[in-house]
Amino acid sequence: MSLRYEYAVETEDLAKYYVMGPVTVRALDGVSVKIRRSEYLSIMGPSGSGKTTFFNMVGGLDRPTRGKVFIDEVDIASLDAYELAWLRAKKIGYIFQTFNLIPVLTAMENVTLPMVFTGVEREERLRRAREMLTRVGLGERLDHKPGELSGGQQQRVAIARALVNDPVIVLADEPTGNLDLHTGLEIINLLKTLNTEKKVTIINATHDLKMIDVSDRIFWLRDGKIERIETRAEVAVKEVE
Amino acid sequence: MSREEGVKFPLSEAFSFSLESIKRRFGRALVTMASIVLGISFLTFLLTTGRIVSVLYGEGSGVAVQFYQLWMAVIALLICSVGIVNSMLMSVTERYKEIGTMKCLGAMNTHVLEIFLIEALLLGLIGGGIGAVAGWTIATVWQAFTQASPVNIFMVSASLWTEFNTSNPLLLLANPLIGIALSVVIALLAALAPAYIAAKLSPTEALRYEV
Repeated sequence: MSLRYEYAVETEDLAKYYVMGPVTVRALDGVSVKIRRSEYLSIMGPSGSGKTTFFNMVGGLDRPTRGKVFIDEVDIASLDAYELAWLRAKKIGYIFQTFNLIPVLTAMENVTLPMVFTGVEREERLRRAREMLTRVGLGERLDHKPGELSGGQQQRVAIARALVNDPVIVLADEPTGNLDLHTGLEIINLLKTLNTEKKVTIINATHDLKMIDVSDRIFWLRDGKIERIETRAEVAVKEVE
Repeated sequence: MSREEGVKFPLSEAFSFSLESIKRRFGRALVTMASIVLGISFLTFLLTTGRIVSVLYGEGSGVAVQFYQLWMAVIALLICSVGIVNSMLMSVTERYKEIGTMKCLGAMNTHVLEIFLIEALLLGLIGGGIGAVAGWTIATVWQAFTQASPVNIFMVSASLWTEFNTSNPLLLLANPLIGIALSVVIALLAALAPAYIAAKLSPTEALRYEV
């Protein structure tokens, strides 16, 4: 992956309104940010602050009411269905709070699935899936189905699936939300290690304060707006004070 | 972006994905198939019985009977369709979340549609096949035995044999084949609407969906 652009993600005045009967909910209300390559970023805020909406917009999973999202300097609103599918398959890896693995497929098959869509040869698919699952510590659980794995293990499979196509960015929506304290910490550390190793940009939407320790920057979101942007050092100084 | 680096989902991949999906959700597949098997076997049973009766008693006999049986067959088909539509609807909606996930991994609307239509095709073929063979066998054996006299048993088998030998051998298979064809068509039509709706959902809508 060449470092052609400094920013992996840019948003311009990004907004999403939901009309619910007489009320218009401004889930996201004019967010302009730049996210650097290989940055480990956390978007923090109380529930309902617009974290998940931001996640969906940046991931190309939903269309914004206003504003633009650029991934690798490409405006994703300009992509047709075919190009958008390619963006989701190749450029972005998704991690969800509820893991969202395909229940009838084994860990191996879940991890190979994104490579089916990017047209990787069968042998190569199996090799890379095995390598990736071993990397996240599930080398012994290749043929287990999600139902036979613990929450932490399922999230590891999801991480392997998100990273197996070497995406530009990994988007994680509350990746530790369904995990206990200890397992959550393991997942956070795993994400950080992969971020350093593979130079992949990781964007977490979370309210798990454990994330602060590993994040390069933190975006504080409130009522659909960026309240402030802090680096880890700034947060640490504040804690001392 | 060049077209070579676009998403792929060749038919062979779609086919093996659908087949695996049926195998691993065998309980669900059985429920869907049961309604197909019952409907199609009843239909084939009626058609075959009509055929045997007209062979035994001559073409002109029982025009009224045939009309009555056609009526029954139509009703059987309707009941069978409702059953298939219902189980297809269920099996698609309970997989909304899976569809959302697939779309996040790069699946396009057509790929989702492909998977569900191939599944319907396979279920229609298998269910229809079992139903047609069962209906035809039951009708033939039933007629052979209820006609009671050995002469009639002989006539039933003889007429089937003549049909097979002299006239068009396909006539013997006509009724079961009609059954299978109808079953495939109904299964595809039944899956089309829910699969189309599911394929058009945005990934977020599909993921939000709770059964």
